[in-house]
Amino acid sequence: MLRPFASSRALFRSAGTIRNDYVLPSANPGLRHSFSTSVTLQKKQLPPRPKHPPESEIEESFLKGSGPGGQKINKTNSAVQIKHLPTGIVVKSQATRSRTQNRKIARDLLALKLDELANGPQSRAAVVSEVKKKRAASRAKKSRRKYRKLAESQDDEGSIAEEAEGGEDVEGGEWEEISADSVEEVKAETEEPQFLDRAKVQSTESSITKNK
Amino acid sequence: MPRLPPSLFWRARREISPLAAQLLPACRDLESAANELRWIREHVQDTKSAIPNTLRVWKLVDKRARGVPLQYVLGTQPFGDLEIKCRPGVLIPRPETEAYTLYLASILSHSQPPTHSLSILDLCTGTGCIPLLLLHSLLTNPSTRDIPIHIHGVDISPHAVALARENQAHNTAVLHHLPPPSSSGVRYTLDFTQQDIFSPAFVPNFLLQDLRPKGPALDLLVSNPPYISPRDFATATARAVRNYEPRLALVPGHQRHHLSSDGSSPENEEDEEFGQRYGCRPEDIFYTRLREVAAALRPRRVLVEVGGWEQAQRVVGLFLGGGGSGSGDDAGGNYEVEIWRDEPAAGDRGEKVEIAGREVAVRGVGKGRAVYLCNDDV
Ligand SMILES: C[S@@+](CC[C@H](N)C(=O)[O-])C[C@H]1O[C@@H](n2cnc3c(N)ncnc32)[C@H](O)[C@@H]1O
Repeated sequence: MLRPFASSRALFRSAGTIRNDYVLPSANPGLRHSFSTSVTLQKKQLPPRPKHPPESEIEESFLKGSGPGGQKINKTNSAVQIKHLPTGIVVKSQATRSRTQNRKIARDLLALKLDELANGPQSRAAVVSEVKKKRAASRAKKSRRKYRKLAESQDDEGSIAEEAEGGEDVEGGEWEEISADSVEEVKAETEEPQFLDRAKVQSTESSITKNK
Repeated sequence: MPRLPPSLFWRARREISPLAAQLLPACRDLESAANELRWIREHVQDTKSAIPNTLRVWKLVDKRARGVPLQYVLGTQPFGDLEIKCRPGVLIPRPETEAYTLYLASILSHSQPPTHSLSILDLCTGTGCIPLLLLHSLLTNPSTRDIPIHIHGVDISPHAVALARENQAHNTAVLHHLPPPSSSGVRYTLDFTQQDIFSPAFVPNFLLQDLRPKGPALDLLVSNPPYISPRDFATATARAVRNYEPRLALVPGHQRHHLSSDGSSPENEEDEEFGQRYGCRPEDIFYTRLREVAAALRPRRVLVEVGGWEQAQRVVGLFLGGGGSGSGDDAGGNYEVEIWRDEPAAGDRGEKVEIAGREVAVRGVGKGRAVYLCNDDV
């Protein structure tokens, strides 16, 4: 589906401003839920980011270019599409110019979808969208620029502001909206107690094919 | 290139924006036009300027619409977790290069004895994308982040060397994707120098003047050299590449003066003749030289990018001892040889081919993209 106006500015900026990522192992995208210690009331309402399903359950389709590839062409297509084998769920990300980033985003989106499948109204996606509705009115008053500063100045983990901002001008893209916060993942990794395995619950049930 | 149907322009204008319609001829399809327009807008919003944003967007779209590669228009290309600065005169890093570089780093990390150090040489380094991403990946992997790492990048082009150094600083001091070399607990060196790898002095310099990465042995020789024949450059290379990226980075043939032993002026030679002089096809010239360099430096691993399956097979043959300038060495003798496809990490199907009487493992999916040699006894 074409999303011409979907904005991923928040995503891209986030990706660019991650600090000190060299101190963290990059090879472990699974465990990255983390809430800052100074949790505000709003933040507490959010279930944690769901964990990525294991790589063995994911099939990544590489968009085969028809041309020779390599030095002879210079394509900008960075889209990543993955399929969750147990459920058949397919997600695609072309939010950023970075394929590495899009691979992470696609996995974040998949995790959210599985979480929603397993937890319905209690899922992170559902709660986020609920909170967003409530805050819509107050948010509308603020200018976009001012708002962005606000979002930036907050600690980004679990921040609703980030999520809302990322999705502000996304056309009906619930998943894109939520994806905005999931890019902050390269932060401190703390143990994630309660919600960790929810996404897995349904992972063995098959044959739900969702495609955007 | 086939003409795009008018209906596509109409749709771009109506469903996206007149600017997207303007981008269509360069982008070729609606989805790319929409994406690139979005990225241009984001870029403008994220950078400060005295010029109004709408005007800046318009200008960048106009530039892109004239065929300038997006990476030159925006000045960057993401590469792994890094951001690589791009400028006309230096080749833009390709996604295939990104894929095998990450895979290569994972191999180095997994097969590394913990007390060892790592020394890496990248020839034809361009923007420095390969050494920078290797370094980033090795430093973020628990099994290699505490060992000393020494990397050296070489390019003939002063523009490339300058940009590679800029990219090192950009990803270290500005973006903090890399730690400073002197930070506590981190030990690495990364240097770029301007050299012609065809120069007869190249290998001796390297060995004598200690230009080679420090350490007892060379762990990896990696190179993405020019590998397009003059004919393919004219007929089988995308227009944006041909018109805007440096020929020096793509087509072997600008190094011929080093090969003329008689002191004649071979600058006027056709590229084809140049190839014959070196005893191989014009597009394979660099591999012949890389084999010589490998024979002299005896790296534990070698990885060279290639233009496709046929070239991959020729390069395997070359390194296994057939052909080349016949310097009498046995560069390929003890090496395990593999051919990597575009996505070397994807779907291991146990594919194998036989080349020059040797079994060669083929990894991944896509086009033949790299030849990998490994000798753990070195
Ligand atoms: C295909 S580009 C590769 C750049 C970079 N490694 C990458 O993967 O994006 C080849 C590079 O080789 C350099 N080069 C060409 N002839 C050379 C020579 N004789 N010695 C050293 N470098 C050379 C070019 O300047 C160019 O930067």
